[in-house]
Amino acid sequence: MKIKNAFVRTDKPAGEVWVWLTGLGLAIGLFMILFLLAIIAWNGFNYFWPKKVVEITLSEEDGYLFRGGPTVAGVITQERGMIVENLAPNQGYLLDQATDNPDYLREIQLYTGNRDVYGQTFAYLNKGKIESIEQPKGILMVERLEWGNAILFPRKLVFADGTEVSVEDPEFDQVLRRELSVVRERRSVLDELERRQMGRINLRIDRARNELRYFNSLPVLSERQASERADYQDRIERLNAELQPLLDESDRLRAKQQQVTFHFVLPDGAERSQPMGDVVNFYYPNAMSVFDRWSWFFFKIWEFLTDYPREANTEGGIFPALFGTLVMTILMSLAVTPFGVLAAVYLREYAKQGPLVSAVRISINNLAGVPAIVFGVFGLGFFIHVVGAQIDNWFFPRMVAINTPVFGTGGILWASLTLALMTVPVVIVATEEALAAVPRGVREGSLACGASKWQTIQRLVLPASSPGILTGLILAMARGAGEVAPLLLVGVMALAPSLPVDDLFPFIHLDRKFMHLGFHIYIVALQSPDTEATKPLVFASTLVLIMLVVVLNLTAILIRNHLRKKYMSSTF
Amino acid sequence: MQKPPLKAVPERFQVAARTLFFDKFMTGLIMIGGISIIVAVFFIFVFIGAKTLPLFRSADIEAKAVFALPDEAFIFLGIDEWREVPYFVSENADIYFVDLEMESKDYENRGTFRLPNNLPDDFVVSHISLNTITDEIRVGSEDGRFTIIDVNYRPTYPADTGRIIEPSLSILPILNIGREGHPILELRYGSRGNRRLAAAIQEVDGRTELHAVTLAQRRGLFAAGELTEDRRFDLTELMRDTPTQILISYEADSILVAYESGEVDYLFLTSTGFSLRQSFTPFEDSVEPGIVSMDFVLGDVSIVVTNSKGEMRVWSVYLDPDTSTRVFGHTKTFPALETPASYFSASRRNKAFLKGSENFASLRFMTTEDIRWEGTLPFNAVKGFITPRYDGMIFLDDSNHLHFWDLDDEHPIAGWTSYFRRIAYEGRQGEIYDWQSSGPVEFERKLSLVPLIIGTMKGTFYAMLVAVPIALLSAIYVSQFLRPSLKRVVKPTMEIMASLPSVVLGFFAALWLSPLISNAVPSVVLGITGLFAGALIIGIGWGRLPNHIRLRIPNGTEFIVVAIPAFVVGVMGWNLGVRIEDWLFLQYDADLEREVGSFRLWVVNTLGMDFETRNAFVVGFAMGFAVIPIIFTISEDALSNVPKSFQSGSLALGASRWQTAIRVILPTAAAGIFSALMIGFGRAIGETMIMVMATGNAVVQDFNPFTGMRTLSANIAVELSEAEKDGTLYRTLFLCAMILFLFTFTLNTIAEVLRQWLRKRFRAVE
Repeated sequence: MKIKNAFVRTDKPAGEVWVWLTGLGLAIGLFMILFLLAIIAWNGFNYFWPKKVVEITLSEEDGYLFRGGPTVAGVITQERGMIVENLAPNQGYLLDQATDNPDYLREIQLYTGNRDVYGQTFAYLNKGKIESIEQPKGILMVERLEWGNAILFPRKLVFADGTEVSVEDPEFDQVLRRELSVVRERRSVLDELERRQMGRINLRIDRARNELRYFNSLPVLSERQASERADYQDRIERLNAELQPLLDESDRLRAKQQQVTFHFVLPDGAERSQPMGDVVNFYYPNAMSVFDRWSWFFFKIWEFLTDYPREANTEGGIFPALFGTLVMTILMSLAVTPFGVLAAVYLREYAKQGPLVSAVRISINNLAGVPAIVFGVFGLGFFIHVVGAQIDNWFFPRMVAINTPVFGTGGILWASLTLALMTVPVVIVATEEALAAVPRGVREGSLACGASKWQTIQRLVLPASSPGILTGLILAMARGAGEVAPLLLVGVMALAPSLPVDDLFPFIHLDRKFMHLGFHIYIVALQSPDTEATKPLVFASTLVLIMLVVVLNLTAILIRNHLRKKYMSSTF
Repeated sequence: MQKPPLKAVPERFQVAARTLFFDKFMTGLIMIGGISIIVAVFFIFVFIGAKTLPLFRSADIEAKAVFALPDEAFIFLGIDEWREVPYFVSENADIYFVDLEMESKDYENRGTFRLPNNLPDDFVVSHISLNTITDEIRVGSEDGRFTIIDVNYRPTYPADTGRIIEPSLSILPILNIGREGHPILELRYGSRGNRRLAAAIQEVDGRTELHAVTLAQRRGLFAAGELTEDRRFDLTELMRDTPTQILISYEADSILVAYESGEVDYLFLTSTGFSLRQSFTPFEDSVEPGIVSMDFVLGDVSIVVTNSKGEMRVWSVYLDPDTSTRVFGHTKTFPALETPASYFSASRRNKAFLKGSENFASLRFMTTEDIRWEGTLPFNAVKGFITPRYDGMIFLDDSNHLHFWDLDDEHPIAGWTSYFRRIAYEGRQGEIYDWQSSGPVEFERKLSLVPLIIGTMKGTFYAMLVAVPIALLSAIYVSQFLRPSLKRVVKPTMEIMASLPSVVLGFFAALWLSPLISNAVPSVVLGITGLFAGALIIGIGWGRLPNHIRLRIPNGTEFIVVAIPAFVVGVMGWNLGVRIEDWLFLQYDADLEREVGSFRLWVVNTLGMDFETRNAFVVGFAMGFAVIPIIFTISEDALSNVPKSFQSGSLALGASRWQTAIRVILPTAAAGIFSALMIGFGRAIGETMIMVMATGNAVVQDFNPFTGMRTLSANIAVELSEAEKDGTLYRTLFLCAMILFLFTFTLNTIAEVLRQWLRKRFRAVE
């Protein structure tokens, strides 16, 4: 026993307290990151979860009512203490009441929906003045094309021919679901019609209109120009004629969407109705089984990732933003990989190592630390205002004449190139490290066998370092995908009318402005009229962006760790 | 001796020509490609720098053309914004136009014509003057009548000739002012919307009198009615001396009267009539207080006054906080002119003005007290005029010739003074730094970078305050005490934090963190104190326990053990904060008519500081997420790279692990840690999205933790996309980018050199 302990220090080593303190530092750091991720994950996933709706009856004391009535229904989103100094001047008495019952200084944030009727999305209810909270089974949560969700009790469906199906009818639920699938089906037909077929013609009309605007801007028309102008006028007329049947068809479908009316009662007792065509989806929040909830949850996630946004990004999905982010990141990788690798191969394999090269190396390393916004400034000043303007002068003089720049304004090409410049140091540094890690013996062996320098690099050095290069590229992609600041200057848009890649010639539209997930977060979080109501959606977008970036980074870290092992074991 | 011929290399050993060619080709390609990429990357900064250079240029002027004018004595001149049809006014208010072909820059006189001024024969001109900003010609008669002739231009596009500038005159009806039948000596006029005010100095039987009249438009049934006199004011009573000059701003609500003594009275029009608001002497301390000229700069808020010695001062209206009225104050002093000036012309694009006499002319910029250009002209100018687009000057010389000069001065406001000096701005009291880059054309732009730099430093300071302790403590722990098996998990986790997009952190800070902690400052402070106190108590307590208990916890896992009680104490602190508020920060809330515990009210009432929801306190935490991982990773690397022998040696000599870490490892790696701090600092300076989203973006110049800030980077992000290409704001924002770049690049270079040096030293030891 004694002997065994002889090797353990029996005195109290100095400074143990401080070790604990440093341990606390790490604990806080880890806590911060895990806490942040947890908050975002919780709030993000919560957005998709079908939450129970409660019906609250107010106690009516001191005339405390919601829109003149005692009942209000909604989803409880938060319960919190009231901030005393924010109380309205006439609410001072609450402080006195709270001495007996602290609930008088707590408030419940209730998501009431029905913004078209209430003019607001949330109700803030004093917890002390709530009489009862119930969960009625028959309450319905309805997603609508406009005004967000509605929370209501269904009454009846009225068809175009005047027939009605009342909620008492046992088949009501079935009929409602059938009608929903009918309008959804029709909406997707409409979407296809408007977004694709009409969009295609509209694009061509826009092009012809721009030409026409150019000719109209000329003071004097030569004979040829006049005939060309007439051609474009004809073309517009022809295209409009082509568009007309589609317009008629879409009008017809839209009218059909309005034919079935959904009658319902709001929780406060007001009777209202709405055409079925405005309904996107619905569910009975208090009557769902666990399985229903989970399937709804996954369905909503899928819908969020694949749907177009509605109502200025505050409803619907994020598909265009996600797509824009991916396209931009891919374009950026296409630009950054060859340049980064070329520069690194030159620095490591060809350049004469000396003070100059190490100075260049240090500078390149430091460029990674230059603020992203500086690259954005360069992108705007050089790519857009110099290169883009010059391209326009050469290839689109007519667009310049009518002051509609094509490449002389922000677009996905310039955004990708700007981010490529920003991330090229990352790729150079990673590639150089990977090249340096290839043992000297490999090169010497190859050269001794009579291979040329390029053959050595091409067949041995580059393949051996390719995982390292890949790591660098992934890190660059992660940085590029998450960076928003430079994009503010070089062509990102809150709501782009079209995707940067589609099935219209030339398929990849490098001049188009695009939507980006990070920018979507920025704009919806700060610029939407009701930030409190859009917060859950922003959390969901944030979750998607973080997953994208974290997955890219983890991949890079895994590859890197794997490589370390590989190089440690392989010695020549 | 003859060398034996070289034996030919057997063919099968010869390198294929194709391989050689390809090798050469690739070598060339990589050399050229690699060098050009590296050059291209550095070109970024050359480009940004080059964009800022024009900001620091002074004005360039160049004589363009001279024309002979018709034989008539002209005393005023002006021109349209396309610089094609200048006008000339004679003593009798005859207005001539000269049509010049300017398009090809081959200035050519295409003809002179005169537009009728509609003055009746009995209107004998006793006073005539020109408002150089509005092109209004003010004419007063010997018998006390006056009118205003406004020169207008309109471009027309006839089918076959291209653009033609069509001048026209709009003439006010002839109205009476003051006493009828007595000559008008001075006349001024101002109009804004429906408010119109004219004032005149009149000579009545050898005495001077001061009169004013407001005009009203009679409302017709179908069209705007004729202008008629509305109210008449005899201001002679208010006069204290013989008036020499008067001025009316376009606000048409006040009259400035200069007296022979050099005093100026500021008369203000209210519903009850004119009253004296202020009386001041611009050249009070000069030997020559008498005022020779007094004119408005664009915006009609500042006056440029000169005396007979050529001294020039600017007085501007500002809001006096004591009386909360707008009064004039002395704001600028320009270098004296060589001669008392004779003519004045204000720019219509900015706060520049042209002042000169005889063959001397000086183009000055009010805001910065800068002389944009000054020199002798090769002729004696009677009048000078800045073209409406601030792209030229025209002069009328004493031999009836018109001189055209080109003016190239794109960025008159830009320069060292504007960016880095305190300036007395119009409407503001005292000399201040401020950033307010846009507004209507008559608005005085404020382009000081100082508040932005202060804002950047403020954000960085609070970020570092949060980040440095956490990052360094974690780095020491991870590198020195943590179990290697845990390190493989912990380090990547911290590195994930580095990859979080800053827009996410900005969103989190602005919409989640700031409502939470800006209402719970005492809780946050107590919570954090509690955390550290908890850790220390645990540490001290644990150290006193007997060894057999102490050793139960293996070394390198303390951070988990400490976390639980420390967080418990932290949460207690947080909850205590709420009570502390009710106890220490009781404040009377006037709205609620009772005392409430509120830290926010306490800050505002007791400390007298502002309190905003998006403040530096919140930003500090959010920025912590961005900066901690950088400082952590680099300093951890520096600490881990200290050769193992150092640690082994120290431990073998009996030092404890803490003593080893703090006395041996830390000093050895100090340079690396320093470089980590600098790189972290660089990241904090350039961080954009967090700053844009969580700071509120108000220009703030103090280090109050409860207000926001506007940083250089956020400023670029917010303003650049709206800035006009190659305009002053655009280039100024490029300058901001350049400052950011130089700052971070220098910091990073120093840090990198330090790290390299450290690495070399370690290599020598190993």
